[in-house]
Amino acid sequence: MDLWLSQLVLNIISDACHDNEQFIESQETIFEKIQSLITQPNENIRPVDRLADLVSILHGLQKKIDIAVNNYPFTSEIDVNILTSPGELIFLIPKIISKYFSPFRELRYLYLMDELENLLSGQQKYINTIVREKELPCSFKIGARLYGLRTLETYSAGEVNKEGSEFEFLHLDEQLRKIQSSQYKTFAKELCLRRLSERKILFSGDDSNKIKTKELDQFFDVDNKSRFLKDATSFVCDKLSKDRIYFLKLIAQLKKSSKFSNSAGHITDNNIEAIINNLSCSEYPLIEKVNIFLLYQDWSRGYDLVKSSVSISEECSLFIQDKNYKCRQKSALSHFQNDLYAQILRESSKKQRYLGMDDFINMSAGLPRNLLIILKHVFQWSVFNDEAPFSDKRMISVQSQREGVIEASDWFFRDARMVGSYGSVVQDGVSRLATLFREIRFSDKPTECSLVSFSVDLTGITDEAKKIIKVAEDVSLLINIPGGQRDRNTKRVDGKYQLNPMLSPRWDLPVHRRGTIALTNDEVNSIFDPEYRDNYDRLMKTRVMRMTAPMFGRKSQDIGKRSINQGQLPGIGSD
Amino acid sequence: MIDYTIFYRKELPADGAWVDVPRWDIFISSFNSSERVNKVYDWVDADQKHWLMQPDYDYRPDEYPNGDVFGNTSANEAEFFQDYFDKVGVDLFDGKQICIDITGFIKPYMMHLIFCFKRMGVKKLDIIYSEPDRYAKKEETIFSDELVYQIRQVVGFAGIHAPDTSNDLLVIGSGYDDELIAQVAENKNHCRKLQMFGLPSLRPDMYQENILNAYKASEAIGVGIRNMPSTYFAPANDPFAVATELSALVCKENERKQLSNIYLCPLATKPQALGFTLFYLTECYDMSISMIYPFCHTHTRETSKGISRISKYTIEFAG
Repeated sequence: MDLWLSQLVLNIISDACHDNEQFIESQETIFEKIQSLITQPNENIRPVDRLADLVSILHGLQKKIDIAVNNYPFTSEIDVNILTSPGELIFLIPKIISKYFSPFRELRYLYLMDELENLLSGQQKYINTIVREKELPCSFKIGARLYGLRTLETYSAGEVNKEGSEFEFLHLDEQLRKIQSSQYKTFAKELCLRRLSERKILFSGDDSNKIKTKELDQFFDVDNKSRFLKDATSFVCDKLSKDRIYFLKLIAQLKKSSKFSNSAGHITDNNIEAIINNLSCSEYPLIEKVNIFLLYQDWSRGYDLVKSSVSISEECSLFIQDKNYKCRQKSALSHFQNDLYAQILRESSKKQRYLGMDDFINMSAGLPRNLLIILKHVFQWSVFNDEAPFSDKRMISVQSQREGVIEASDWFFRDARMVGSYGSVVQDGVSRLATLFREIRFSDKPTECSLVSFSVDLTGITDEAKKIIKVAEDVSLLINIPGGQRDRNTKRVDGKYQLNPMLSPRWDLPVHRRGTIALTNDEVNSIFDPEYRDNYDRLMKTRVMRMTAPMFGRKSQDIGKRSINQGQLPGIGSD
Repeated sequence: MIDYTIFYRKELPADGAWVDVPRWDIFISSFNSSERVNKVYDWVDADQKHWLMQPDYDYRPDEYPNGDVFGNTSANEAEFFQDYFDKVGVDLFDGKQICIDITGFIKPYMMHLIFCFKRMGVKKLDIIYSEPDRYAKKEETIFSDELVYQIRQVVGFAGIHAPDTSNDLLVIGSGYDDELIAQVAENKNHCRKLQMFGLPSLRPDMYQENILNAYKASEAIGVGIRNMPSTYFAPANDPFAVATELSALVCKENERKQLSNIYLCPLATKPQALGFTLFYLTECYDMSISMIYPFCHTHTRETSKGISRISKYTIEFAG
């Protein structure tokens, strides 16, 4: 390492100073001093007169060590003389140059090391040691993937480097995510435009024809923003309301419920017909879904369903006439519109829609690399589908966008499988978490909107679960939300994590984060700790059943009690 | 560049009816559950036959085959063979006719064993490789658990690298394990990357399966498979053609712009890995070239069905 870095330093000095007169004047002393660092006592040395010769000597020493290491399996010994102490060359060469070459007297030497994750623990320990022992005028900047920082230990009497003392930690992803969303959006679009322009895909060098960032959106086929998503949900309208799939499902649930005596009103076939009629709003499938959602809410509270449906119907009529009318529909739409639309798509066996620049930028979670990868896949699909993307204002089809997004999402998930044994364990844990989010999103009565995040009391979960959450965070499958989440009941501040939105298409989840679900310690252990994995199905079913008609988590003997004991659920919060 | 295709290569009958096949003094094979490994072991005529039990297959002692079995628990190729040579004695191989069936070998072990024989002054080695009829699960076939715990140089193939990394090159022999391709490419993120595919492949459909899998790793590689000139081809069952192509590739790249460091990583067939090994041992000693490999904990014991063809390659080392 020392020989390696020394050669780099001297090569750079050579590039910068080889024809500098002042350097040439002082080089004899500099060379002599540096040469003395790598000379054995009483060894006769032949003075060098070029920096290149000095580099050759260092390379020769490195070669000697490499050969000795390569031959170790046969010789069982490494016959090399270590001439300097750790870090000596790295720190003293710059010091000598600064001392004898006055223009560099005030110069700070910065060693930039990248991809630290490729070094083994023992090798990182050596790096940590020279960081700890560093001497002026030298300093270090070291780049690593989060998961790649294996140790902070040093060879300096077993000391451990401490943040704030021996080094400062800069979390680049976090810094990028701190950038205001609108600023990032503009930056991302400008980045794309520049790339398209440089490759002459979007327009030629004529400035007058330049396309503005907001116009980039026009190249992507997205859903029309019609009232209550009327256009986007028009595929439902070829059937009468009562024959629409979500009403058929509700009818089946009501019929199933009618077998039990309960407090939700006695349900007869006539009642069912009345309820369906009350909830119908044939022109706007989305509003019908909202009405059903509101009925599910009332149902889970044990209200009389016929009366509920009448009330929902009355409010619905007023809301259709005046979108500013304050009612439950308005409130539900403001929170659950995306989820209910996703349910309509799923119930109609249609694929989820992640369309347009804004969705892609949200998916990238502040990292331009992710955005470029999404767009690359979308572009490739568009070319494959013979769409001639970005030419003649042609739009990239929904199909190409969807395929590209899915491919990018799969890549992101696979890419997180880093070197080391935790890779697949982390992926399994994240898969279980995402599956839970999906089940909740597509349940009858999701408790949280746009659910892609959870909170947990980190002090109560197993060490293994904690470790796996940390690794998931390090490989960016989970994003730690700074500040955490305050528990509604105890006011305790819990850890809060978001599933990386790059993964959303893989599990039909939203790309925006809104609601946060508070998971119990048992639930988190069953998701992330392989030892508790067997509990996962049971715990997930228990939670999702609370959001599923007709029982809403109650057993048949409990039917008739007015409400579920919500106190048994962990606190639920939202952003 | 060197033309390695002048080396001897012979096809042996896949039904075991071998005539004009020499009797060897020592035959070495690595045990796994594939039919092609076990049948060849039975068909070979040799004074001594050695089964090597590589720990990566995770066989228990009660699962060991009959015969002279050598196994230890070290998953480091150098330690593994140090133990083997300690047990049998290095002198055993002096002036002997040696044959190695590389079919069941995990690649770094194979590379290191050939490196050892070269170091020991062995001048000639016969190598056998049996091609499968098909892989057990076609393009879904997994050869290792893909849980890479380390990417490092194969012992004996470390090279002497230069601090200048401005024009580093990674040549991947791309096989079925896309995870391995991606992880190696990520590990040498700074390098320009070239891929070498087996074409003609062992069986016609295997090329398509190979490409389907390698496509999944294209993000890490940075370029598409069809992007010439980053893609090279050499027959999947001909180590001499692979070595020749590799030699030409490195020559060409060096002529274009002097390469600073070169990393080789054979992830496809054993003959391809043998070609990489031959090229390295012949041309790369003492240069800034190394052979790297993504090491996994376990490998699948049986990945193929049947035997379609058996080849014998004769490697000769200069004095």
